[in-house]
Amino acid sequence: MTNVDARPLRVLVTKIGLDGHDRGSRIVAAYLRDAGMEVIYTPPWQTISGVVKLVTEEDVDIIGVSSLATDHLIVPKMMDALREAGLEHVRVIVGGIVPDEEKGALLAAGVSRIFGPGAARDEIVDFVTSLGRQSRSGRIDEFSEVIP
Amino acid sequence: MTGMTKRAMHALLLQRLRAGDPKAMARAITIMEAGGPAAADLHRALQPSTGRALAVGFTGPPGAGKSTLIDAFVAELRKRERTVAVAAVDPSSPLSGGAVLGDRIRMGRHTEDPGVFIRSIGSRGHLGGLNASIQHIVDVLDVAGRDVIVIETVGAGQSEVEIVEVADIRVVVNAPGLGDDVQAIKAGILEIASILVVNKADLPLAARTVRQLRSMLSLRRESEGNVPVIETVASSGRGVAELLEAVLNLAPQTPEERLARRRARVRRLVAEAAAAEVRRRIMERNDEPFQVALSRVEAGQLSVEGAARVFAAPDSDHDPAQFQQTIIRKRQ
Amino acid sequence: MTEIAIQLPLPGFEQAQGEWRSQYSRQMRDETPIRNRSGIEIQPLYSPRDWSGERYLDDLGFPGQFPFTRGIYPSMHRGRTWTQRQLIGLGTPEDYNKRVRRIIEAGATAISLLPCCSGFRGIDCDEVDPVLLGTCGTVINTTDHMDRALDGVPIGEISTAMNDPSPFTLLAFTLGVARRRGIDWRSVTGTSNQSDYISHFIANHQFYRLSLPGSRRVLLDHIDFCRRHVPNWNPVSVVGQHMQQAGATPAETMGFTLSTAIQYAEDCIARGMDVDDVLRRFTFFFDISISLFEEVAKFRAGRRIWARIARDRLGAKDPACWRFKFHGQTSGVDLTQQQPLNNIARVSIQAMAGILSGLQSLHTDAYDEAIACPSEETARIAVATQNILREEARLCDVIDPLGGSYYIERLTDQMEAEIEGVIAKIDAAGGMYKAAEAGLVQTMIGESALAFQEQVDSGERKIVGVNCYRIEEDPTVPPADRPDAEAMHRHVEGFKAFKRERSQNQVARALDALARAANSTDENTFEKVVEAVEVGVTHGEVVGCLRRELGFGHPLILA
Repeated sequence: MTNVDARPLRVLVTKIGLDGHDRGSRIVAAYLRDAGMEVIYTPPWQTISGVVKLVTEEDVDIIGVSSLATDHLIVPKMMDALREAGLEHVRVIVGGIVPDEEKGALLAAGVSRIFGPGAARDEIVDFVTSLGRQSRSGRIDEFSEVIP
Repeated sequence: MTGMTKRAMHALLLQRLRAGDPKAMARAITIMEAGGPAAADLHRALQPSTGRALAVGFTGPPGAGKSTLIDAFVAELRKRERTVAVAAVDPSSPLSGGAVLGDRIRMGRHTEDPGVFIRSIGSRGHLGGLNASIQHIVDVLDVAGRDVIVIETVGAGQSEVEIVEVADIRVVVNAPGLGDDVQAIKAGILEIASILVVNKADLPLAARTVRQLRSMLSLRRESEGNVPVIETVASSGRGVAELLEAVLNLAPQTPEERLARRRARVRRLVAEAAAAEVRRRIMERNDEPFQVALSRVEAGQLSVEGAARVFAAPDSDHDPAQFQQTIIRKRQ
Repeated sequence: MTEIAIQLPLPGFEQAQGEWRSQYSRQMRDETPIRNRSGIEIQPLYSPRDWSGERYLDDLGFPGQFPFTRGIYPSMHRGRTWTQRQLIGLGTPEDYNKRVRRIIEAGATAISLLPCCSGFRGIDCDEVDPVLLGTCGTVINTTDHMDRALDGVPIGEISTAMNDPSPFTLLAFTLGVARRRGIDWRSVTGTSNQSDYISHFIANHQFYRLSLPGSRRVLLDHIDFCRRHVPNWNPVSVVGQHMQQAGATPAETMGFTLSTAIQYAEDCIARGMDVDDVLRRFTFFFDISISLFEEVAKFRAGRRIWARIARDRLGAKDPACWRFKFHGQTSGVDLTQQQPLNNIARVSIQAMAGILSGLQSLHTDAYDEAIACPSEETARIAVATQNILREEARLCDVIDPLGGSYYIERLTDQMEAEIEGVIAKIDAAGGMYKAAEAGLVQTMIGESALAFQEQVDSGERKIVGVNCYRIEEDPTVPPADRPDAEAMHRHVEGFKAFKRERSQNQVARALDALARAANSTDENTFEKVVEAVEVGVTHGEVVGCLRRELGFGHPLILA
């Protein structure tokens, strides 16, 4: 494993859209930090273009979107924007409350998993860890293998 | 993409970095954070193109309003159409190695501005080597064409001093009433400060803090130059333009000054690398003449400084007999 | 004030108690202390040792008598039942209007209006991705929208809670509608129940719009304006709900909330307002958790402490000012996604706690409130819960029925001590504004929240369906009620057309006046807001202007 792969995972924990309740996302950020990851934590109300800029600059591996009401409805648009920016290797999970009948659209748009509010700490951490490995090894852009 | 050779990818990264592509900047920073031979290689490749950007470091105790001040400082720079990069260093947990990197969120104004590149950096417990990484990251941002690079770290302890030393201009931010004003000035911070800021200058105790700082400065040697003390109210923007003026005044103005600064930077980098290298050697040595020398220090026959001078000498590794001689001579 | 043990000249008492204690210990070999949410140790039994009626007049008083521990009015719910005020809000103004009319027809005398999240964000409907509009609140950006939302609603006779933070545009719209309908502003009643910017800054960023100093300024202007022009409106509701939901213990919540009330009162006094004028219109808004007895003790202690603060610390002369009036909402944080119907039982207990605490108005959550906006059916069950408690369990028959209970009186005393400890800490930090600015309160709440979570994670604190009595279930999230996309699209288009057709000159002048007022020290910003919406200035334009002049509200986030 190269030095680059031995680094901690870099995870963005964010909220897009209109909802401002951030208690849950802060708890998840703490879980991931305690598991050794570097968490870039934003306040609510991030725009999609702001997220794309942040993900680019911070070389993020995984995005965790916290959505309690309806903000998940614009996640597919975020996935599109990430693809357009050449960031499709960045995996996305959604945590919070998503009506059952709207989950399919998220998964179809490329979201890796949707966690409900009762998800256990270990479950989240283990999944993010394995997803992070996928994200790094699945990178096929022009800079994926610069390192010997 | 995977059809490219590693060498070609490397060249492409450099090319895109020089063109200011944020994706290339991010990837290059990742390599520098990871350290090792790849980082050293990339750093070497960057050297000829460095020296243009101005690096400004901000540090100070928590609660001083540093992030708010940086946010306003960056806004001021953008008003003058300078491009900016911010490297925000946050402490990583010594236990888990993880971190919540939360400085970026305090720069809410700049989340959509491509003229402000922001990267959050966890200290990852390598307090010894962090400043080398930071220097490498500064060089990446420099080569990418950013006019001003802001380095942000919290606290005023030894590790923060080392990080902010990487900057050409060091701004130490204080605020009145943060408990022990003097405490914030210990740990060598005052020695390296180029500018002192008293933020939240609208508070009643601000005048006293300014006086305290000025009197501490007056105790410094004349040769260390004049350190301006600037009052700001970051939340309203008051004093920020003055701060920027003070920073620009201290920046190298002529090509000669720029070269001199660059030389100083390189010298410091080599010194730090040398110190790390010597340290590594000494910690790993176990041969007999070496152990003998250590016993001599324990017995009071050889001073620690004397031993250090010998161990750091270029020939101390090669010829044990010669080394023995040197030790005996020192003793006499 | 608080004594540990009260001496009783009751022969045989000591012996009987001693006997009980030894028998008890024999039956309960291994006992770990039990603590309530506020950290107070709960004994297995309370007796005249813990409370004997000597302090009845000093510390309890009869209902309606200082210090109002037993209730702020002489007849309380037996005379007039608590107000049922259910939160509603969805979709377009027409959607809201349909629902609110049904509620009024069913007998409600008090309504609540919940605006769309875009409103909380301070932006108009044409600045938002349409798929997010009106999903959990009603989209109201202009006086016209409010007019349509309140069509056929007798605003001069019904009390409205406007869930609207600074700069209170919803109330400004309502005043405009009242004017159109020839209704005197003195008949407009209700509460600006999200006016507590300090609690937003600390614990619910959803509502935080303007900078701290900006919010402070606008609140004072709002209080002043209402005092003079809308005298039967409550411009201040000091909110404990957000902090308790964020994890503050019940005692901490009451302590922080009373400290906030002190801060607002002092700010008003510093501004030259008469303290009686101001306090007369203070109301409070609290969460009610499922910790039944603790909540009752919390509110009784709160009433007692507030009476003394109002009279002795703040110097109010009118007894009306010493009365702690509060609205309670059952706490959504206690509800679970697992086995959701269990939440009906939880809400009943929370509601009961609130009623036994002597609240003035009550909102009961729907059983799926944690995961969805209430539907008509779930909202109906929530209201039925209140009706059953009142009509069948007959909770209104006796005022302060738990009063005199050795446990409740002792716990009230202990909660009082805890609460005063919190107030003292805030005082030492220079008051609630400074404490919030410095992040002190947030840190305390964060610690309590973490401690609670750890107790749940370890199983020490049991939650049915979550860490005990679990079943195999696929927690379903029901389909959400979404507004009709076509109707919303028309609403937005109509709004855009309105903006094009109104007088741009008048709008520009009104916004100028608002900006100037914000930058002066002797003009009233809320007055300018009321004038601005008269000429068609929108919600987003008002908020945008004040954000520019007074500062955007960036919450303090301690990572």
